[in-house]
Amino acid sequence: MLIRNWLHYIREAFSSVYRNGWMSFASIGVVAVTLFILGSFILLNINVEYIAEDVKQQVEIVAFVEESLAADEVDLLRVSLIRMEKVEEVRFVSREDALERLKEEFGPLVEGFEGRERNPLRDSFEIRAIIPEDIPALAKEVAELPGIARVDYGRGVVEQLFSITGVVRLIGIAFMIGLALTAMFLIANTIKLTVNARAKEIMIMKYVGATEWFVRWPFLIEGVLLGFFGALLPTVLLMLVYSEAVAWTSLNLHFLPLVSPGMVIMELAQLLLVLGTVIGGIGSLVSMRRFLKV
Amino acid sequence: MRGELTLIELKRVSKSYNNCAQPAVANLSLQVNRGEFVFLVGPSGAGKSTLIKLVFREQTPSSGQITFEGRDLSRLKQKELLRHRRRIGMVFQDYRLLKQKTVYENVAFALEVIGRPAKEIRRKVPAALAEVGLTGKEKAFPAELSGGEQQRVGIARAIVKDPLIVLADEPTGNLDRNNALQLMELFETINRSGTTVIIATHAWDLVDRMKKRVVAMENGCLIRDEQRGSYGNEHVST
Ligand SMILES: Nc1ncnc2c1ncn2[C@@H]1O[C@H](COP(=O)(O)OP(=O)(O)O)[C@@H](O)[C@H]1O
Ligand SMILES: [Mg+2]
Repeated sequence: MLIRNWLHYIREAFSSVYRNGWMSFASIGVVAVTLFILGSFILLNINVEYIAEDVKQQVEIVAFVEESLAADEVDLLRVSLIRMEKVEEVRFVSREDALERLKEEFGPLVEGFEGRERNPLRDSFEIRAIIPEDIPALAKEVAELPGIARVDYGRGVVEQLFSITGVVRLIGIAFMIGLALTAMFLIANTIKLTVNARAKEIMIMKYVGATEWFVRWPFLIEGVLLGFFGALLPTVLLMLVYSEAVAWTSLNLHFLPLVSPGMVIMELAQLLLVLGTVIGGIGSLVSMRRFLKV
Repeated sequence: MRGELTLIELKRVSKSYNNCAQPAVANLSLQVNRGEFVFLVGPSGAGKSTLIKLVFREQTPSSGQITFEGRDLSRLKQKELLRHRRRIGMVFQDYRLLKQKTVYENVAFALEVIGRPAKEIRRKVPAALAEVGLTGKEKAFPAELSGGEQQRVGIARAIVKDPLIVLADEPTGNLDRNNALQLMELFETINRSGTTVIIATHAWDLVDRMKKRVVAMENGCLIRDEQRGSYGNEHVST
């Protein structure tokens, strides 16, 4: 409608937020906590999936070759591995190569195992699957091939990783819904305070012929303000904390790949601000439905 | 419709609250013409306030029909209801001013709420305040005014939107005789400019003095309707 009306609505809404003091503070606080936890969950989820993806890439099957196998038999075995449906890549690691790797990792500890007779290791194939989820099944198939002594893959790790993202998400969603409802309830109660405090004004508005929405807008805006302010704090906090966390991790836990802040933070901020606003708006509509029948 | 004389018509209107056996308004028929000045009298609980609420369409009749400018009030849609109420100026016994707003703001509020342009507000508010004799008090807050002055603000707020009719429920109930008399004269002035006025009141001596149409109620029934009437002898002692 008129700009003057909007100024009026907004002025009224701000003065109510101020006048309701502690209730406003509590509403903003609950929205802030809710959205902080939501934001943390989202970041955690994104990163668990990201890490899982990364680990999945690295998960591979190690198939140890029987010692008795001759070099041409090993080559045949390699060909049959490559021909398997689920296989992406096959790499042959000779026992000498394996020992070299160990030396790189553990240095002097493995001194003295050089030479064909002393090397306790076996020749092996490192096999990567096209789809990481196929690894358990593929491992079984590989184990049944003649000439393969033993098969290894990160059994527990793989299965856990595939299920953990789902669990994190479920717990998070349940928790969030509870908190969001609490926030709405608190906002509804805060708005109710305003409605009661201004019952006389509302009555007078009705007597002079105000439209229902002229009466309602200030309350709706008040709820939206509470939600928005509530969202502001966790948004800023998460931006700072996450940037710090990523910086720290890349220095101290460089094997842990985290999603870079630039890729997620703006979208997260948008999401939280919109959610806060929506929670606030719904909260005030709930309180008005019962209290502001013209 | 403009030329029509009848403004309000009640046809056999009854109103019961909460299915109460004794109705607040009982089988009441009444006609009020444009430009009339009507006193609504009767003892407390007679149903005067209910009648006013019915005309404002704050309440709807349990039976019977009320028409305003020929339109059935119980058939109004939301938009028409607002339009209806905007053409009525309400005045209350307890003034119902917003204490955190100044005199000027209280009157301007009635226009702001219905979305009138700022230019019109700047023109009409001072005019309404002048009409009720409050020029110079624009910046005062209600608490700084006498009861009579506060009610003048209430009247200014009622007339600022140029209503077809002013409905006043015991407007002088909280005022001394002198203030009450001045206010009645103010209502008379408003009425002379063409606005219909209906006043529910206990102030029998003022009613007798003004020689206007008197509609008397008792137990929800209309018991007397006289042009240039008086409050009625049966209540003079109260
Ligand atoms: N909102 C209401 N709910 C129930 N009863 C009411 C209500 N308003 C008025 N009444 C009853 O209706 C009757 C008429 O009241 P009212 O119209 O206020 O009379 P008056 O204004 O002449 O004193 C009274 O008996 C009163 O108790
Ligand atoms: Mg009354």
